[in-house]
Amino acid sequence: MDAGLRAGSAFLALPSPGRTVARATLRMTGVMVAIFVIFAPLSSLVIWSFTRTWHWPHPFPQAMGFFYWRKVLEGDLFRALQSGFLIAVIVTVLTLLLTVPLAYLLARYPVPFKAAILLVFLLPHAFPQLPVFVNATTLLYRAHLAASLSGVVLIHMVGALVYAVWTMTAVFRSIPESLEEAAWNLGASRLKTFFTVALPLATPGLVASTLLVFLYSFDEFTGTLLVGSPFVLTLPVYMYRTSVGYELQVASIAALLLMLPGIALLVVLERYLKSEYLSMFGRI
Amino acid sequence: MGGPAMAPQISPRPEARRPGHRPPRARDPFTPWLSLGVAAPPLAIVVWLFFVPFLSSAHRSLLREGEWTLRNYALVWRLYKIDVLYTLGISLVSLVLVIGIAALLCGYLRLVGHRFVEFLFKIPLFVPFVVVGHGMRVLLAPRGTLNSALAQVGLIDLNDPPSIAFSWLGIVIALVWKNLALAVLLVLGAYRAVDESYLEAARNLGASTFRQIKDVLLPMSAPSLVVASAFMFTSMLASFSIPLMIGGGEPPHMLMVDVYYRINYQDDLGTANALGMVSYLLAMGVAGYYLRTITVKPA
Amino acid sequence: MDVRVEGLVKRYGRVTALDGVSLAFPAAGLTAILGPSGCGKTTLLRSLAGFMPLDGGRILFGVEDVTALPPQARNTAMVFQQYALWPHMTVFDNIAYGLRLRKLSGAEVRARVEKALDLVEIGRIAGVTQRRPGELSGGQQQRVALARALVVEPRVLLMDEPLSNLDAKVRQRLRAEVRRLQKAVGITTVYVTHDQEEALAIADTVVLMDGGRVVQTGTPQDVYFRPENAFAAEFLGVSNQLSGTADADGLSVGTQHVSYSGPLRGPVTIVFKATDAILADSGVAADGRHAVLRGMLEERLFLGSAYRHYVRVEGESLMIDGAEPVDHGPVTVRVPMARLQIYASP
Repeated sequence: MDAGLRAGSAFLALPSPGRTVARATLRMTGVMVAIFVIFAPLSSLVIWSFTRTWHWPHPFPQAMGFFYWRKVLEGDLFRALQSGFLIAVIVTVLTLLLTVPLAYLLARYPVPFKAAILLVFLLPHAFPQLPVFVNATTLLYRAHLAASLSGVVLIHMVGALVYAVWTMTAVFRSIPESLEEAAWNLGASRLKTFFTVALPLATPGLVASTLLVFLYSFDEFTGTLLVGSPFVLTLPVYMYRTSVGYELQVASIAALLLMLPGIALLVVLERYLKSEYLSMFGRI
Repeated sequence: MGGPAMAPQISPRPEARRPGHRPPRARDPFTPWLSLGVAAPPLAIVVWLFFVPFLSSAHRSLLREGEWTLRNYALVWRLYKIDVLYTLGISLVSLVLVIGIAALLCGYLRLVGHRFVEFLFKIPLFVPFVVVGHGMRVLLAPRGTLNSALAQVGLIDLNDPPSIAFSWLGIVIALVWKNLALAVLLVLGAYRAVDESYLEAARNLGASTFRQIKDVLLPMSAPSLVVASAFMFTSMLASFSIPLMIGGGEPPHMLMVDVYYRINYQDDLGTANALGMVSYLLAMGVAGYYLRTITVKPA
Repeated sequence: MDVRVEGLVKRYGRVTALDGVSLAFPAAGLTAILGPSGCGKTTLLRSLAGFMPLDGGRILFGVEDVTALPPQARNTAMVFQQYALWPHMTVFDNIAYGLRLRKLSGAEVRARVEKALDLVEIGRIAGVTQRRPGELSGGQQQRVALARALVVEPRVLLMDEPLSNLDAKVRQRLRAEVRRLQKAVGITTVYVTHDQEEALAIADTVVLMDGGRVVQTGTPQDVYFRPENAFAAEFLGVSNQLSGTADADGLSVGTQHVSYSGPLRGPVTIVFKATDAILADSGVAADGRHAVLRGMLEERLFLGSAYRHYVRVEGESLMIDGAEPVDHGPVTVRVPMARLQIYASP
């Protein structure tokens, strides 16, 4: 029976040097393929954002430089970047204010309909958003909030709330109750204990939620396209318009700017946060 | 009235005067009403801007020029049934590719390991869908960077370059590129949860790396893969920004693009909402199927 | 098949798990590797299987140097502590897995699996082949794991504390089973355990390890009755240790004196087992064949099979087991000279 085993794994029975060389070559090829796959779309963006003129079919731009960067950083792109950033900050602050107390209650107390409440926040990600947001735009229009900053903030929050609620509930639940009980035992009120014990211990979760919500809002496209038009522009919508308008240099610069917060965060998260937080990023 | 027997006591309970003494537990202000009150504001946002519009989809899909009618659905059937199949087809192809690549790649990463490649495949997580759309446009367009690079090597005819963007293939590539990162994260997590001794037992009896993936890793992480697949399939069905940017001008289109065009260019709320209802049903169908597969199996 | 390891070295950072281990595992014999946690026994077993790349040394199966071979190609079979039976496969598929990898025909596979099930004596259970591992008891699962290993007719059978997950009663029964099976099949077996009773009970050869090194090799009787150093003497059985000084007149243990005619001089360690000593009331005199020590009986526990007495002698607490209880107070401890192990202190 040895023979059958050897025949089946004949490759493994090769003398060592042959096996290791073959394996190393395969491995290197695999890495090259992976690099190509991941960077091909991104590198095109990078090249285009530093291009001044590039005519088909040259493999490289004829003229490169910061020309378009200077041009757009004064104009619409900068305004879109500003609005987008401002909206993301407002969305993040409001979301945390509304969800952190709720998350604490959900983690510690027998809140009625707890499962249903958690599920409600998940629904905007379970169903296609576009048709719903089309109708939501009408509602916002009737409330005189369409095409305004507040309207966009609200439509962002619809999808952003879940990141904070679910993350913070899990984080609060993971803090041992005995730590809070020790504070109560020594005489601190519930509120004081919340601010001095629970919240500081939940800081990693707060950081994760802030990043998730901020990035969600900064990158949000569908709702902003419908609700914000024509006055409120964020970077994703601006990028979309310039891309389909074939202003490729400008669109690529916008795309790069959109990617930067994300890539910076990737590096931070690689070192500090758990992978379950990472998996929520994939839904942006 | 104030005799010695009635002298007022300065402190009714001697214990209260002991320093540091307090009742053992802080008063608990929790009531169900309080919790519902705290829950109300965030819930209200979702209810007002998601639930209500969701229901009004149903409502508007049955209205046309002010009358109750099923004509919108008839229109959807006539105009969009091919697009429904197109959307399902693209999503299915993308899902199969994503799960297939992830299953094998993560098997390699789990059994042999390669930290750089693992890091590489986290990058698309942080690239927003819209940027993926634009990047793929630039890369895969007829006059895009990929074709111009291939033209230098002589693989492409300059006068008739293939158009991968603006076709179903471009959409599939974009969806696979973006979702692969999430799939790798979830599948690798599930693979890592499989105890090493199961793999060692297989290795010990002669199983190659591929067989360890096929016989041990995949079957033992199947539930997680089903969840990941259900989620990704639904999100692919509902993708909007990518097909909007890559899909191209000619029909068929993916459903969300159809809804958008119907509203934007034809101002036809009735049919658009009917199409929206169809998309909700597809999403619910997937979720129902997933729930059935995980609850039928015994623990 | 004879198995030999020569000069095995394995390091983890600053910790040396195997420090130049050389051993011979006799063909068709059961060699038990015994030692405290961290002594390197599991590392040794896993390097035989090929799960662990070594920093030095050779492993020989017969005349073949298998050191560079991956686990898939070595044709060893391992029985794991947690059984490692695949929960998504039936008992039949679990056992058949190795056979199918070797591309045997369906009929051949079925025949061998059934033979293996009979060998481990669960073939009679109705429908056992179609059950999942989770539906079986711990003892049954371990038998399936054994069957899975034996059915591929490996060159070496490797067992990694296979019974330590089982209830005490099941463990006692399965020990005899494992020995019977090993003799019936005649396969070279390496058996790692921290349970010395188990090692002594089933092994043909016992290897005692400590700190990555081999302390002593021999038959179970050799290692138990003729330990070569203080560690071996102390590890096996329930042992007592005393410090003393040896000179031409004999041994002095604190203020007491014991006759001694051996060659050692200077500080020594004296080791004897709890079951070798006899407790008596104070006042018993020494004779040439026994060492007699005076002490104070401080505590007595009932173990069921014996009474365990804790006696303080010259500052050390000794354990003496006996069938009859002795009352608290001053006592004498008598140990036959032949059962006293005396080693030079390092």
